[in-house]
Amino acid sequence: MEATFIKRRSRELAVAGVIILFLLPLLGISGKTYLTLTIAGLAMGMLLFLVASGVSIIFGLMDVLNFAHGALFAWGAYVGFTVFNMMMKWVTAESVFKNFAVFLFAIIIAMITVAVLGIVLERVIIRRVYGNHLFQILITFGATIVLVELIRVFWGPNDEVMTVPFSFRGNWDVLDVIVDRYRVICITMGFALYAAIQLILKKTKLGIIVRAGVENREMIQAMGHNIFRLFTGVFAVGAALAALGGMAMSVFSLQVYPDMGGTYLLFAFIVVIIGGLGSVTGSLVGAIIVGLSYNYVAYLVPWAAAGANVMIMIIILLVRPAGLFPAGE
Amino acid sequence: MAELTAVQLFHQEEKRRRFRRGGFFIGLGVLCILLLVPFVLPSYKTVDLAVKIIIFATLVASFDIMLGYTGILSFGHGMFFGIGAYCVAFLVSKYGAPTYLNLMLGMAIAAAVASGLAILISFLSLRVKTIFFAMVTLAIAELAIILATKLSVFTGGEDGISLAMPGIFSFAYSTGKFLGMEITGKIVTYYLILLSCLGMFMMMLRFTHSPLGRVLQAIRDNEQRAEALGFKTFVFQGISITFSCVMAAITGGFYAMWVGYVNPESCLGVFAIMLAVLLMCIIGGMGTLYGGIVGAAFYLITETFLPDLQHLAKDLFPSAVFLHNVLERWYLFLGVLFILVIIFFPKGVIGSVREFIDRRK
Amino acid sequence: MSESVLKVESVHTYIGQHHILQGISFEAVADAVTVLIGRNGAGKSTAIKTVMGLLAATDGRIIYRGQEIQRKKPYEIARMGIGFVPEDMGIFSGLTVEENMKVAMLVEDKTTHERLERTLNMFSDLRKFWKSKAGNLSGGQKQMLAIARAIVNDTSLLLIDEPSKGLAPIVVESLVKAINQIKERSVVILVEQNFFMASAVGDNFYILDDGFVVHSGVMEELIHNAELKSRFLGISKTANTG
Repeated sequence: MEATFIKRRSRELAVAGVIILFLLPLLGISGKTYLTLTIAGLAMGMLLFLVASGVSIIFGLMDVLNFAHGALFAWGAYVGFTVFNMMMKWVTAESVFKNFAVFLFAIIIAMITVAVLGIVLERVIIRRVYGNHLFQILITFGATIVLVELIRVFWGPNDEVMTVPFSFRGNWDVLDVIVDRYRVICITMGFALYAAIQLILKKTKLGIIVRAGVENREMIQAMGHNIFRLFTGVFAVGAALAALGGMAMSVFSLQVYPDMGGTYLLFAFIVVIIGGLGSVTGSLVGAIIVGLSYNYVAYLVPWAAAGANVMIMIIILLVRPAGLFPAGE
Repeated sequence: MAELTAVQLFHQEEKRRRFRRGGFFIGLGVLCILLLVPFVLPSYKTVDLAVKIIIFATLVASFDIMLGYTGILSFGHGMFFGIGAYCVAFLVSKYGAPTYLNLMLGMAIAAAVASGLAILISFLSLRVKTIFFAMVTLAIAELAIILATKLSVFTGGEDGISLAMPGIFSFAYSTGKFLGMEITGKIVTYYLILLSCLGMFMMMLRFTHSPLGRVLQAIRDNEQRAEALGFKTFVFQGISITFSCVMAAITGGFYAMWVGYVNPESCLGVFAIMLAVLLMCIIGGMGTLYGGIVGAAFYLITETFLPDLQHLAKDLFPSAVFLHNVLERWYLFLGVLFILVIIFFPKGVIGSVREFIDRRK
Repeated sequence: MSESVLKVESVHTYIGQHHILQGISFEAVADAVTVLIGRNGAGKSTAIKTVMGLLAATDGRIIYRGQEIQRKKPYEIARMGIGFVPEDMGIFSGLTVEENMKVAMLVEDKTTHERLERTLNMFSDLRKFWKSKAGNLSGGQKQMLAIARAIVNDTSLLLIDEPSKGLAPIVVESLVKAINQIKERSVVILVEQNFFMASAVGDNFYILDDGFVVHSGVMEELIHNAELKSRFLGISKTANTG
């Protein structure tokens, strides 16, 4: 039992170290700026969490690395964009109810559409390359090309402006700190989703089966569970989460463009490596780390922001390759 | 005379067979075509196309050594290509002058930087699985682009660097006529690139047929068994990665020489270079160096002549709307082809042809 | 003549390029424990996994209660009433004992709950550690959990792969007791290297060597055949197997 005790401490140490690191900027910048950056970082983190959690669980359960996740993310954004365009009156209306309603509606449509896309992807393409990581990467990469080109076919190749719902715009003044409204909404959404996912995983039978399958795919089959239906289901959920992330991100960054999936896919991978493949909590922690560090560094040393994240990823790979919260612990 | 072992006999037979194989003559044929292009099809468009095919074929072949022969997927190959291009650009233009010495220095430095970075990356590959390695190389490649763009003071940023070539390679050079055609700097550069790339390609062929190359294939097929047999897989993989990346950097240097301009998007871009390399490698055939030639030719010829193809299609089949749409969305078509090739012809064109021939024997 | 519950006929299995099972045939009959015994690498685990559908049989037939199952998927086979306890026990360490059992229970009706009760009575430690993470259990307890999972459904055939591996002798004894209880209700096919375990619970045996069945018979016979034991099981002729 000695070894596990130390191992457990190492993760707590790592997290403590990161927290201390994140408090360092306070030495150089004002508390207010720090708070603004922190909120921005948390918001970005939450959106990354949405994309990353899908990748993480899909890999954990199916041992499939889905490079097409970024394209699904972009599709979610574009479907949401279309819904907004069709119901623009409700988007710009000065009614909180209407704004939330159309936002939710866009999210639901986006999630359903992309979930269907995900199911088609899984059954037609990914099924053929189970077990072969190399071909999985290649084929999902190919799928990305096709999906992104289809976006260009259906929506055109240009950047489009994403309208922010009226009541989501602007700031709140909390104790003399300017807090961006939409960022707070993103953070709330993210935590709510995390809670929902954890609830499903821990309390429902399906969730227990998925967790077991992440640990030992072969055994779960030998115990009578149809692993293929499970795979399709999990893949669809992962895709839906990516769509949600994309939709939310497009409102966050005020734009949609065909290649938007690429950058965020990269971030998602970094998050998943830091957090550990197969763990939702890991994705959350990793996403927060990535979001916060990106924003802090971007403020202090602008050109090093992306590099800082890659550095963290490489350090984790060298020190603790399984990530902070590997499945099974 | 000592008796030859079974393995040595096998090698001897293989060497003898190589010259009798049809593939060898096809390769020779391609070489002849490339040698004659500037004279037979002297338009800028075709010569430019030919150079790009040569450069990319070599680049893809170097990628194939990593992917097809060693079984390692790295998304960083475009980055090494860009590093080569930038090194030459730095030495010949931004931080130097267009002289022969600087040109060679640029190539040498490109090779040095590439090997250093490659060794670093191969240290990483020791510790992580395939998928992680792919992700990390992707991240590093993206990082390189961001750095190249943001550190504009050093790299010329988004605007890039233009360079002029020294002496006989320069744009202004001209040395009279040969076989009815004026020999300009561009022509000289063309032949330099052709011969150098030919040399590199032969080096890569030798590499794969060498004992080292065979060990790499053994590692690719079954790493654990190779390790159990006593091979330090990590060292071999490291050598292969380094060799492959240095080759990539040098092709990048030649690219800079020919195009005369480097910038992050065209030289380092994942979408510009890496994607194309991947497509060419898979379609041409993984694990067969010649696949690079086929893939590069297919990709670049169709890309260059696409507008003409579109017009032709419109003229010949004015009502085939589907055909028009497909040709318009070139990348879509390529993406679908890519997926189909992976599912149905994972060995690519060359691989499937070889398999077909073998089966008929 | 006892009714045949599982019949394996001339099955070949490849793992990668290796021809592991070279046409083996064996049979498990009702009201008996059938033991597959043999040295390391003889193909015993491969045989069990092939029956379970986790490995594909390239040739031959596997007949369970009159139905051919060699082409079926593992989860279909499990749902036909075959329970599986793999060599590494297959415990989900991150899940609690309760959750492990929950995953195992394919239906949640009264009879299954009664079976659960009976199983927990047999393995009282599991009840004690009900809410603990399965990864914290001792080796013997994990084995108990693995077996409990496999019998909580309406299992008529139980496949157990080397349960005594790595366990202390005293734990092996309680394992023997448990299996002797189980065999009253289900047919058991046991794969073992440990001769003590095999002889304590086994009724019929098949010796596997290099992918072939080289000998078979009743356990009584094997216990007294020093020649067979030394040739195929590596048990020295002077060893005390009592």
